[in-house]
Amino acid sequence: MTGARLLRGAVGAAGFLLAGELVIRFGLGENLLFPPPSTVLYEAVRLPADPKFLAGVGATLANWALGLLTAVAVAVPAGVLLGSLAPVERAIRPVLEFLRPIPSVAIIPLAILLVPVDELMKVSVIVYASVWPILINTLYGMRDVDPLAKESLRSFGFGPAAVLARVSLPSAAPFVATGVRIAAGIALVLAVSAELVAGGVNGIGVYVTVAGNGNRTDLMMAATFWAGLFGVIANLALLAGERRLFRWHHARTGAVS
Amino acid sequence: MARTLRCHVLVLGSVAVLALTGCSGGGASPASTGPNGLEKATIKVGALPIPDPVALYIAQAKGFFKEEGLAVEPVTITGGAAALPQIESGALDITQTNYVSSILAAGQGKKIKLVADMYRAAPNTFEIMVPKDSPIQRVADLKGKTVLVNNLRNIATLAVTTQLRAAGLSEADVKFAEKPFPEMGNAITAGQGDAGWITEPFITANKNALGFRTIADTMTGPTADLPIAGWMATDEWVRQNPKTLAAFQRAISKAQRLASGDRKEIEAALPTYTKIDAKTAAAITLGAYPSTLEAARLQKVADLMLEYKYINGPIDVKSLIAASPGG
Repeated sequence: MTGARLLRGAVGAAGFLLAGELVIRFGLGENLLFPPPSTVLYEAVRLPADPKFLAGVGATLANWALGLLTAVAVAVPAGVLLGSLAPVERAIRPVLEFLRPIPSVAIIPLAILLVPVDELMKVSVIVYASVWPILINTLYGMRDVDPLAKESLRSFGFGPAAVLARVSLPSAAPFVATGVRIAAGIALVLAVSAELVAGGVNGIGVYVTVAGNGNRTDLMMAATFWAGLFGVIANLALLAGERRLFRWHHARTGAVS
Repeated sequence: MARTLRCHVLVLGSVAVLALTGCSGGGASPASTGPNGLEKATIKVGALPIPDPVALYIAQAKGFFKEEGLAVEPVTITGGAAALPQIESGALDITQTNYVSSILAAGQGKKIKLVADMYRAAPNTFEIMVPKDSPIQRVADLKGKTVLVNNLRNIATLAVTTQLRAAGLSEADVKFAEKPFPEMGNAITAGQGDAGWITEPFITANKNALGFRTIADTMTGPTADLPIAGWMATDEWVRQNPKTLAAFQRAISKAQRLASGDRKEIEAALPTYTKIDAKTAAAITLGAYPSTLEAARLQKVADLMLEYKYINGPIDVKSLIAASPGG
């Protein structure tokens, strides 16, 4: 991100906050039930001093990381498998296409009923939701592999394993990385949503629930602000990782994203 | 080489399938027998971050559970809709419930037991409120209006309906819409509803911050001193853990007596598990904290629910109450 772009982004965000501040202070009337952005930001800055909030952040991020890693471990091999074996892919495709559009938040009540351990329940729904983008991206990545490159290797006598390791996997890797980045955002949404629906001992969503029930809308929004910030940071970090790892891919496709 | 790789892929694939399906497996964690012969020495107890379950945190802070050899892990729940499946799955051992929800569940054949009393209504603990400049002055003025409640077909709608009847109206004369308590004040201000069924700390907050006024106290007449919330477990859990349950009941009952005898105990405990600060804790109206679960009193809730067709047949609440150690 260049300096000018960063500046423009900052100006946009500041303008948005200022507009919100003015509308609430002079239009809707300021009170605890409708806190202006300045109050929310002030509380957001103070939140890291609250041990209960820190414990919540730890719990949410732990579930998030565990869920995302499990999803990668499940979806990448499954995507490679389906991407390499066309008949299997055709057989499983209808099931995938049916399950994929189901809003993942809607399976939380079912997960609560099925999984007797709170943390495992949360990780399960995170895995379920984040498997799809990784799986589908891996699948398309495998399909996008240059057939000529594969044929060349085969004609030199390389076996399927070597073709997979030397051509297919490296070629599909940027697609997988994009899938993981999309899944990371979805996983964070599910990590917090599961806490909002099911509660728990600690978590950003649990903190929001407690703040809401105690009529602290300002704390509710401040905690939500942090959840959003974690999403932005994760996305930027993964995007930077992708750029570094797959410079050749971006050069080839001209993708700037 | 090719064969081994294909095997690897297959193994990975099956691991993937196992991981996906395996998540839903597993049963209750093995019970650890504790001191005093308790079947379970550590239990997870679900509670809402509101004043009702204060005895849980008082008992915890004063060491009442520890005296019984019981370790209690409080878990924040978000409402009855999630808590019932959580005791059914075994994620929670005992949970807070409101009596209308538990009697509804019993009416649907759910095998649950009420194990201890928690919270009973007192005057001005559940009110119908409107904005200060609203034309609505009395309950009769609600005809054709939208009333916001925290849950549809639950304790809120039941309480409002009893007031409607007293004013010569029926349930069909108003429109009920669902909105969580924290958002109700703003939702009414924004025109999403004309009135709201509101409890503490939101009665005080809406009054002070938005100038709301009360048109009716819903806990009067047939709903005076209405039992609101209690502790619930599954029938199976109660049968398997009689000693653990008795220990829990003794500790909770002791804390309830402390709470009902001295409001300062409640005010001290509230800021430890809710975001209600000391100033608000001192100002809000609180209900009663009974130390025994009385069938006769609770029967009133079931009878009201039958009267307003929340349940299809009569329910004898004695069949829902787990015996307490005192008999």
